[in-house]
Amino acid sequence: MQRKLLVTALAVALCLAFTPMAMAKDIKVGGIFDITGPTGAVGKDYAAGAVAGEKYWNQKSVLGGDMLKLIPNDYAYKIPEAVNLYKKYKDVDRVFVIQGWGTGDTNALRPLVNKDKIVFFSASYDGNLTDPKKNPYNFFIGTSYSTAIRLAMTYAKDMGAKKVVFIYPDHPYGKNPIPAGKDYAKKLGLQIGPDEIVNLRAIDATSQLLNMKKFDPDFAWIGGTTPSTAVIIKDAAKHGLRTKFMINCWGFDENLSRLAGKAAEGRAFGMLPVAPFGANVPGMKDVVASAGGKPYTLHYVKSWVSMMVMVEGLKKAKAAGKLNGPGLRAALETLKDFNTGGLCAPITYTSTDHRPNTTMAIGGIKDGKIYLVKDVNFPRQKAYIGW
Amino acid sequence: MPCGLFFETYQKDESIFPTLWLRVWMIALGIGLLVFPFVAQPISDWMGMNTLNMVNLIFIYIVGAHGLNLLTGYTGQISLGHGAFMGVGAYTAGILANMGWPFWLALPMAGFMSAAVGMIFGIPSLRLRGLYLAIATLAAQFILDYAMRNWSSLTGGSSGLLVPSASIGDFTFDSDFKFYFLALAIAILATLYLKNITRTRTGRAFVAVRDRYLSAEVIGVNLFKYRIMSFGISSFMVGISGGLWAYYITIISDEHFTMWLSVQYLAMIIVGGLGSVLGSIYGVVFMVALPELLRLPAEALTNVYPDIFVIFSSLREMVFGVIVIIFLIFEPDGLAARWHTVRAYWKLWPFSY
Repeated sequence: MQRKLLVTALAVALCLAFTPMAMAKDIKVGGIFDITGPTGAVGKDYAAGAVAGEKYWNQKSVLGGDMLKLIPNDYAYKIPEAVNLYKKYKDVDRVFVIQGWGTGDTNALRPLVNKDKIVFFSASYDGNLTDPKKNPYNFFIGTSYSTAIRLAMTYAKDMGAKKVVFIYPDHPYGKNPIPAGKDYAKKLGLQIGPDEIVNLRAIDATSQLLNMKKFDPDFAWIGGTTPSTAVIIKDAAKHGLRTKFMINCWGFDENLSRLAGKAAEGRAFGMLPVAPFGANVPGMKDVVASAGGKPYTLHYVKSWVSMMVMVEGLKKAKAAGKLNGPGLRAALETLKDFNTGGLCAPITYTSTDHRPNTTMAIGGIKDGKIYLVKDVNFPRQKAYIGW
Repeated sequence: MPCGLFFETYQKDESIFPTLWLRVWMIALGIGLLVFPFVAQPISDWMGMNTLNMVNLIFIYIVGAHGLNLLTGYTGQISLGHGAFMGVGAYTAGILANMGWPFWLALPMAGFMSAAVGMIFGIPSLRLRGLYLAIATLAAQFILDYAMRNWSSLTGGSSGLLVPSASIGDFTFDSDFKFYFLALAIAILATLYLKNITRTRTGRAFVAVRDRYLSAEVIGVNLFKYRIMSFGISSFMVGISGGLWAYYITIISDEHFTMWLSVQYLAMIIVGGLGSVLGSIYGVVFMVALPELLRLPAEALTNVYPDIFVIFSSLREMVFGVIVIIFLIFEPDGLAARWHTVRAYWKLWPFSY
């Protein structure tokens, strides 16, 4: 009898101890980032940007007393690990929104995300995530890879290119946009050379580039991350290729000129969905201030914008009284030309099209700094939803 | 009253649970395991980690670790290819499931496929021992890894392969809670199987091969047969583990079945205890639970210092490595041996000598 009393007392004490935690209004956000994996070189800044964004929006207390609580975790770019983290966020933290990372794992989680009605912001701008008919809960903030590769082909064509080659790592991130690029290159009448595979952790690309030299393309697409891109560009300079490189958004940043040196100048052109870190746009002041003097890259800006769009959605969902997965999704789908302060092109989601925008910039490198070559825009066509 | 354990018949000497207390504890463990999934949610909430998911993974890996322990711990043949053999099982189950095969048929097929592959790559074990066999099986790892990645028409390549949830009849194991009982049943079966096979003629032949293969051959143990058989059984178990894993995670990608997984399996049985049934269980619990537990301080610290999250998540891997090294230095015979020491101490406490 006494023991029973003791157990009851303990249970009551435990309940009391935990009540305040349950009362505080936290909006938990799961974070799946790559710090130690193959894309860690760019993933680190992305994760840092998300963490800084959480702090910034909480200080501004934009959600009327509700606090964002980002739970960042490293998954080392391993799909099963992402599934494990997802299960934790769903069952233990009970989140309804996740800030995720890679193409492979975002695609792998699509069925679960749709089943559990959890809004998933990915750092993968994979085109096939943009069809709400198939993936109603997937969102991202950058111009999709497929749009980027089409814009790159258009730019190459405008510069008088006749022959193009696609270089990418054997990862979903590298492979997924390639069909869109080839399809569009064919439409433009460009001749396509044999693909080259350069892995994310490559330290040498000589054999691939010598192979490519035989075909001698005017432009080549690189679908890797910054370290492997630097390897390709340095080797291209070493072997005297005249090819210019159009680089997907995770392979071109402020570090590229540091890693590739002079070789990057006039040779490397990046597809930029967001403004470079420290660019002269109105929204950048807070971003730079949040970094506390550290020289981050544009990947920091990407996650910052991702948090900004999420917060905007949460605000609207809260106003509508539906602070849950479907409510957030509905709120996001009402965003129209959402102004990010110039950090990226205005963002629009609709219930039939999750492409955030179709405008981006092409950047080059001069004297070790990124400069703007050209703003490019691809018409938002219905035919290109979902790929 | 006897002042120790005295076995008066061979049956008693050979029984799995020789003492009354052991049987009582086993029943308690059994009840605990059956009750656990019902209280897993509050435990998970309290600890801030998904304990049910973790325990399911532990069960899955126990099946595979038993397999490798049979090969390395009992037969003395090292294998650095078990990660890939697990992958073969996972892909077999996944591909068959996508072709519409029922779960109860696809899972054994995963085991048989892995067994076949394991036996083929086990053939060099007749000639090669020790480091040389390690390199030969490492080659198997790389060949299979390459095949999984590049045979994309079959395996889905680097994008992975979606697998439907396991179902028997109309019952679908589509949640962690339901899957728990399936994984538990198979882990228990695998444990009983390993425990029993070591007590048979075959099991003794395995141990003879390990301890001194020349003597074993002299007394009539067919080395080739038993080495291949050991590779076959071992790969079968690791294939089952892979099949279960595929049905549990519901997406397979090649990057899981790299050399790292093979090394992890070896680490499990070395940390746990080579040639011990309990050893593989302790090893798996240690290797699966520790990284998850190390995540907790990382998350707690992130709340206080959000800026160092990036550093801390890299630190987690290093802490894990350091802990494994410390374990190997202070307990080279594995956790199972430590468990025996602890038990022996308490048995005679406070009058030990």
